[in-house]
Amino acid sequence: MEELMQNLKHQIVEQLNLQQVKAEEICNEQNLFGPDGLGLDSIDALELIVLMQQKYGLKLANPADGQKIFQSVKTIAEYITQNQPK
Amino acid sequence: MTYINGIGCISPQNTFRNDEFLKEVKEYATDKMLCIDPDYTKFLDPGAVRRMGRLLKFGTTAGLIALRDAGVETPGAISTATGFGLLDLSQKFLADVIATQEGVVSPTSFILSTHNTVSSNIALLCGCHAHNNTFSQRGFSFESALTDTAFMLQEGKQSVLIGAYDEVGQFAHAKFKHVGELRQEPCTSSDILSKENPGVIMGEGAAFFVLSKDKTANSYGSLSGHSTLFNPENADELRNWILDFLTAHQLQVEDIDVAALGYSGATKQDALTETVQDLFKQSTITAYKHLCGEYMTASAFGFWLACKMMKTNSVPDAVIIENRQRSPRVVLVYNSYKRYHSLMLFHAC
Repeated sequence: MEELMQNLKHQIVEQLNLQQVKAEEICNEQNLFGPDGLGLDSIDALELIVLMQQKYGLKLANPADGQKIFQSVKTIAEYITQNQPK
Repeated sequence: MTYINGIGCISPQNTFRNDEFLKEVKEYATDKMLCIDPDYTKFLDPGAVRRMGRLLKFGTTAGLIALRDAGVETPGAISTATGFGLLDLSQKFLADVIATQEGVVSPTSFILSTHNTVSSNIALLCGCHAHNNTFSQRGFSFESALTDTAFMLQEGKQSVLIGAYDEVGQFAHAKFKHVGELRQEPCTSSDILSKENPGVIMGEGAAFFVLSKDKTANSYGSLSGHSTLFNPENADELRNWILDFLTAHQLQVEDIDVAALGYSGATKQDALTETVQDLFKQSTITAYKHLCGEYMTASAFGFWLACKMMKTNSVPDAVIIENRQRSPRVVLVYNSYKRYHSLMLFHAC
């Protein structure tokens, strides 16, 4: 799980081209969206959906779940661990 | 009268600072000239910059510089021009579609790839919900935006932000190189004016202007008129078109203080440009494409050069072909891109 979260941080920084943030600076439970977090927006949400599918083969069955799943690096890692094809 | 009250230009030269005017000229020894980037984070939200391509960054920033220069927060309309637009991003998106075998692809390059991305981005940043058009008519793109702007001002808009932008895209550069339009021999950008090595240097840039019916303390001069001519059959037709244009503005060739000509290194175009130069035997003759390269909206760089010459009442050595010691009070810009010829006439305030 810890390794997955570290990988996710690097992938998020690369996919979203976060020039002002280093992967090591992102906390596991830090909010990804909103002004109190990383400040990601709706286009970033689309990029995260693409990232999930391209890197982990996961499609969001219900888009409404996205808000919970993409809350933090930890919630994304949990979703991947629970749903990734064995 | 149409006054130019603000300008912003990002080009292969140091042009983004309005308090300077070609103090140092950068030479290019390649077949392309790329923009010198300002610190974009001084103009744009760092969070937004990360998602922008080069053209979107320098196009948007040039527009914002022009608005700041004019002291206009929100223009009454925005009219822009581009030849290729953000074609490279369209190609990136299509390449991703192929690479993923039509699977899920990143949406960002698609979202930002339309021709009007720059003008809409500026509109969002300055809160302009009014008329917003982007013209893409090859060598007449900027001139079409000028016509649109004239209509907007006639209809009573207080101020209009007009601009043009193009970049050296990978695809376009490869295509022009393949068909032999670019310089083959190594040379510097100033060699364009020597006419010994044919072939153009591909260029890029963004130039924006705030135009208004009202003169301000910051006015650079006035745009008295513009005209276009497509595919003249011979030099006579070109000359007659220019003479008719001047007559329509109650001018004779002797009245033009400075003629800014678009010598590009393209043999056929430059031969016609020489016949234009021959008309102005008493004017100071200048050129500008050795500074910005050749691209479909390079006439906007000529527009910028005219503005700076009028405002500073000076003609920099870097642009002079023949110096007849004339003060730039009446300036004529002649541009050509392949079969597209255009004129823009300016009067200093």
